[in-house]
Parts: sequence; structure tokens; C-alpha cells
Amino acid sequence: MAEKPFTLAVPDADLELLRKKLELTRLPDELEGSKWDYGVPLEDIKRLVAKWKDGFDWRAAEAKINAIPQFTRDIEVEGHGTLNVHYVHQKSELQNAIPLLFVHGWPGHFMEVAKLLPLLTAVAPDQPSFHVVAFSLPGFGFSEAPKEKGFAISQYAEVGHKLMLALGYNEYVTQGGDWGFLITRVIAQKYGGKHAKAWHTNFPVTGPPSLTYSPGLFLRFLVTPFSAEEKKGIERTMWFRSKGRGYFEEQSTNPQTLGYSLADSPAGLLAWIHEKLVTWTDGYPWTDDESEYFCVVKGDMSSKPVLTPSPLIVEVLTWISIYWFSRPGPAASVRIYYEASTAKDWDKTQYVPIPFGISLFPKELARVPKLWTRAIGKLVFASEHESGGHFAAHEKPAELADDLKKMFGVGGPAFGIVTGKSGYTAA
Amino acid sequence: MAEKPFTLAVPDADLEFLHKKLEFTRLPDELDDAKWDYGVPLDDINRLVAKWKDGFDWRASEAAINVIPQFTRDIEVDGHGTLNIHYVHQKSKLENAIPLLFVHGWPGHFMEVAKLLPLLTVVAPDQPSFHVVALSFPGFGFSEAPKKKGFAMTQYAEVGHKLMLALGYKEYVTQGGDWGHVVTKTIVQTYGGKHAKAWHSNCVNNTGPPSLKSTPWLYLKYLVTPFSEDDRKGFERSAWFQMKGTGYFQEQSTYPQTLGYSLADSPVGLLAWIYEKLVTWTDNYPWTDDEVLTWISLYWFSRPGPAASVRIYYEVVAASDFTRPQWISVPIGFSYFPKELMIAPKLWGRALGNVVFESDHKSGGHFAAHEKPRELAKDLRKMFGIGGPAFGVVSGKSGYTVA
Repeated sequence: MAEKPFTLAVPDADLELLRKKLELTRLPDELEGSKWDYGVPLEDIKRLVAKWKDGFDWRAAEAKINAIPQFTRDIEVEGHGTLNVHYVHQKSELQNAIPLLFVHGWPGHFMEVAKLLPLLTAVAPDQPSFHVVAFSLPGFGFSEAPKEKGFAISQYAEVGHKLMLALGYNEYVTQGGDWGFLITRVIAQKYGGKHAKAWHTNFPVTGPPSLTYSPGLFLRFLVTPFSAEEKKGIERTMWFRSKGRGYFEEQSTNPQTLGYSLADSPAGLLAWIHEKLVTWTDGYPWTDDESEYFCVVKGDMSSKPVLTPSPLIVEVLTWISIYWFSRPGPAASVRIYYEASTAKDWDKTQYVPIPFGISLFPKELARVPKLWTRAIGKLVFASEHESGGHFAAHEKPAELADDLKKMFGVGGPAFGIVTGKSGYTAA
Repeated sequence: MAEKPFTLAVPDADLEFLHKKLEFTRLPDELDDAKWDYGVPLDDINRLVAKWKDGFDWRASEAAINVIPQFTRDIEVDGHGTLNIHYVHQKSKLENAIPLLFVHGWPGHFMEVAKLLPLLTVVAPDQPSFHVVALSFPGFGFSEAPKKKGFAMTQYAEVGHKLMLALGYKEYVTQGGDWGHVVTKTIVQTYGGKHAKAWHSNCVNNTGPPSLKSTPWLYLKYLVTPFSEDDRKGFERSAWFQMKGTGYFQEQSTYPQTLGYSLADSPVGLLAWIYEKLVTWTDNYPWTDDEVLTWISLYWFSRPGPAASVRIYYEVVAASDFTRPQWISVPIGFSYFPKELMIAPKLWGRALGNVVFESDHKSGGHFAAHEKPRELAKDLRKMFGIGGPAFGVVSGKSGYTVA
């Protein structure tokens, strides 16, 4: 099926079912003084459930989501037939803007790109402009879910790549975090050079350089002491490994068992995801208050963008509702862990020779020393930030956008990487 | 509060509420031909939910549960105040029957002892008789849940021990699997010799190979003893569990509250979470739907709610008070079942202490008391009966009529 415009319109019956289920919510007890030690505090869940039931205006959130141009089209995936894929496609006014594919992860979704859109598609003489494509991974958001077993990282990469080609972007660049990192890595490995021209990630997770595959780096690794930031990063990484992987283990071994809870219990789904929204970010002020806003760009485009509050979306409940109302249901989204862990279909050893950029945020889940990331690919750009966590595009859109502009802008290491699409008005 | 008889009587309103929630169940999709690869199959859940909603007679199950003598009493726990504890207490007709404390685990419960009761309390000249006590762990079944953080292995052991003393059993023996294994091990390590006189377990899983330092003779034997076919199969099973089977453990020991919202709120979610273990941890046990639904209902209707039950993982892992290397000198008996989750060579089990009884079974899994009650009862009789290695271990309570 060719491209069709997409308007999110959750049926009334689905809203009604959610409301009924919320009314029937049965909450657990809680230990005294437990705070966040054992998981999401009861107080938070009580408050969010009450709001979700009465006070949260989904239709308003939906309208704001629909302000972003969305589409669906069929994409053929080898061995998996045709999947109907949902995506955001916001073009710059500049025809030769750089085509950029944004790839989310779990528990992310297509709306993670929302704050970046105005920043990246803006046209200004001193910064590159982008055409931005952000698809819902199959099984997430409003894309169809795979029906067969074995839909792993290669397949997600294939979808992203074929989507860009279908949109007429024979050459493009990518940005990804969480699963988006692995998916864009495979895109770079499989389609790099000819189609994927450069890639950027905020989640460069890799092991130490290996003697076999990157001997030079290995030797440097042996003698390079960790910086203070890197030491903190390793602490954070160790915290995640010891305390933060329960969801990972369950989702990569028995996703279906967990799926029954996620599909059936709004409060359960809320807690499961909200825990990540809080523990994976850097003090991000999530709000369930409708008066709080996303930031959008306003003002004179010729100078640095001014971020002013503008009502867009109520954050937490909108985020969870996207999962609750997702086309395939929330249970489908966690299968990526099982499939990826089973197939292990990304090549850890394959060095990717196209320009590679990273943005490091201190509260990311796995912080590896910068040296190690040089083994992934041709590192041409690296920036380190003072604050921010795992959901960089949502937490730190201005910083992330700035990094992309530096990487791809005039004088940047990946300037003009896409043939004829530098992101600037032809002089 | 002194002992009070306990009759399970779930309020009508709770039954009605469960029914309403089941009516609004929203089920997920499933991959083609997924079978058990990704977790519980949708077919099974569809069938069980439909039955739970219409056809499952909770009151009949409840009545069957109430045939078993149950009680509650307050137990004081150091640093945690008083907890009201629910327990089964079935006495033998023989006064000097052996007092035995049966300790369940997760996702088990007090009713795991049900099939053992008639087998253990029966009086016959050729086998020992037992008085059987089976408590609901705090946080499980119909016991109160702890309110404060830090209720770990030491506390669970304390509750079991104090309960036996309160019942007048100054000396007693213990039987446990899953967390029950760890609790009963802690009981004999803490109260052994004076009070806990012997220990039997069907789940010898948290032990490594003998170490040179603690058991040098066994260590040497370990070095030269080749693994048997059974040992190899055991390693395979253990490897399966480590690779595929510890998701629940990881979540429950790090974020039990987060998981708890799902378990408390979703009947189908709770059903799937536990049913997966009932099937994958047993040895082709022919669960009936009624059996499964009764089991899950005990969690759904539990006094503190199902979320409380998973905190034991967090508390015990956080306290790290379950891997004491202390050699156990009271008589120990181990029953090995092939579909247990982690199976170590018997040589390794002997490093725990004074192992006087071992038995091997050709079938059976993790829920031994429920799957293989006759075999388990036989093992206990062999261990504690006349001529057995733990005969007469409890003063004046051999389990036989005084000739």
C-alpha cells in the first residue's frame, strides 16, 4: 500500500474500556519508607492513576500528536511479508535539507522525536536543516507488529532503510538511542557507504576494544586511565547491571508471560514504564500536570532558537497511553528483547567506516569510556554533556540538536555527507 | 493474640470484584507458532481465563481448603513487631509423633502441604507418624505481611522457629523447598541442635562445589569424581534455568513493587506470571484447570495481596543472609528430583553438612510435595523411621507407639 496520511483516532470504545479498567484498579500495599528502593512508589501510581481516570484529556493529547505529520505505508520485509509501518515525516522548507532517520527504542516511541522536529527542520543560514523521518518500530506505536518469530535487529534495520528509500531518500543519515543504537548500527553495517552516509547515537554501548579486532585501541585502552567522568560513568553502568536489568531479563526470556500484565493492567503498564522514565533520566521533571509543556522554538530564525513554553502534550500519561493504545498492544513491544537476544544479529566486530558521532549524557545507562567507542566506527564527532540521561531527544533536545548541527554543519566533520543535500540554501 | 482457628471465607464482594475484572480482561496478541518459547501460550490463558470467569467454583475449593485444620496466632519478630501468622496444624493421633515444620516458597503456599498431610500423620506400626505444621510466610497466604523494610531470611527463620515453640514443640524437624529450603537451612543453622533436630529438603540449589578450605576431603573427591549421566542432565537443567529462567528472579529481587502493581491489578497477569512456573518448573505434572485456578486464587485473594509475596526476593538478596557457609551438624536429608531448577551433583550437597540421607527420583520437579507426595513422604519415613539415619532425633517423639 502506498503512503497514506495517518491521523491518530483512538475509538471511543477503547477510551471507555480504559476508563472502566482504571476504575477497577486494585493497588498493592507498600513498605514503610520504601521510596524508590523497591520500585515505583505507591504515591506516584495513585496520583497518576487518579489523573488518568479523571482529568487527563486524551483527545487533547491526541490532537497535539496529530499536529505532527504522520503517515503509513507498507514495507516488505524478507521472510516476514508486508508490514504496515507508521512514521513521522517532517520535511524542511529547504529542499536540500539532510534526510535524517530517527530510531527510537523501548520504552520509547515515535513521539520522542517531537521536540527535535522544530529544531532540526528550521531553516537558518548558520545551521544545517534536516528532513526528519521517525518511524514506529514494528510492534510499537501505530505500526503493525511482526507475526512470525525471528524479527530481529536486521529486520528492524531493513524496515528503516527501505522506508527512507521509499520516501525518495537514496542517501540519508541516522540518529538512534536504546534499540535505535543497535538498529542504526546494523543499518550502517549493511547499507553504509551507498545509502547510510553517517550515523549518530546517544547510546554508544560497546565492550572494551578487543586485541583481535582493534589491537591499536586495545593497547591504548591498557594504558589510558579513566577520567573522572568516565569513572562516574562506570559506576552508573555497574548500577544498571546490578540493579537495573530485571525488565531486560524477563523481556528477553519470557516476553509473552509479562505481556499479559502489560496488555491487561493500565496501572501495571504505567508502573512498568514510568519506572524507566524516572530512573533512566537525569532528574527530568516529568509532569502529569496539563499546565506543563514541551518546549518549542519560537522567534527569529536567524538567531539562536528561543525555547518558549507551548502546550503540546501532558507527558507521562500521554507517553503511557501511546503504549496502551498502540496498534499491536503493549505486549508486542517487549518481544524485541527476546528476538535480539536470541538472534544476536549485530556484528560486534564489524568496524563501520562511515562517519560516526556520539553524544554522551551522564545519566545514560551504560557509560563507556570514549576510547572504547572508537572501535565501533569512524568516530568523527563526540560531545559530552553535563546533564541528561537515556531519553536524550526528549530530555535534552536543544543539546542533541546542537550536536547534530555541529556534526553535519558547515565546518563539521560530516558536512555535505549526503550528495547534494548539505542542509543549506545553495549559495 | 493466642491461637485462633482460621476458616477461609473470601468476602462475596471480593469474588464479585474478581469477576468484574475478568470480564474486562484485555489479552495480547501472540506470534504464530510461538508455543512456550516466549512464555505462556495464549491458548492456555484464553482457556483458563474463560474458566475462571465462568465455571470455576471458588466456594467449592474454599470448602476443600477448610477441611484442613488452620489457625492464626501472633508471633513477635525482633525489630518488626507482631505479625499475625496463618498456619496449618494437623496433629497425628499419636501423641509422640515427630513435630515437622513444612516451609513453602514462591510461588508456593501453605496448601502445598495438603497431599502430604494424610501420608505423614497416619499412624501405622511400620512407619513413623508426624505432627505437621505448615505456615504461610509473612506476606503470603493468610499471614500478615511485614510493614518494614529488611524482613529477610533471619526473620523468616525466626517466625518458623517461634511458631513451633509456641505450639509446644521445643524440638522439631523441618522440610522445605524453594525459599523453604533456605528458611529451613537458616533454622537449623540458627536453632539447630537445641531445637531444630534435623533438616530435609527437596531443593538443593544454592551450593557450589566443595571448597578446599571448608571440606577438604570432599574437595579431593570432587576433583577425582567424574560427573555421572545424571549429573550432566542436572547441569543442563541448571543451565536452562540460568539462561532462560531467571527473569522473574531479577525483577523480583530489584523492583518488586513495580512488578507488584501488575500482580495486584491484573488477574490474567498474575495467572500468567505464576502458571508459567507451575508448568515449566514441574515434570509434566497434569495440572487440571481447577487446580491451577485454586492455586492462583490463593494468591489473588491472599491477605496482603500478591505484590507482598515477591518482596522476599529483594529482601533476601539485599540482606545477603542466605549463603552462610556454616557447616550443619544436625542430620540432613536431600531428595533429588530430576526437574528441579538447579541440580548439583550430590557430592556438592554433602558439603553443606551432615548429610545422612539421599534419595534419587526418576521423575518430579520443583513442587515436590505437590507433584510427588508419596515419594516425598516415603523419603521422610525412611529418614526418620526405625533403622533410618535420623530415627529418634526428637527426644521422646519417635513417631511410633511405645511398644
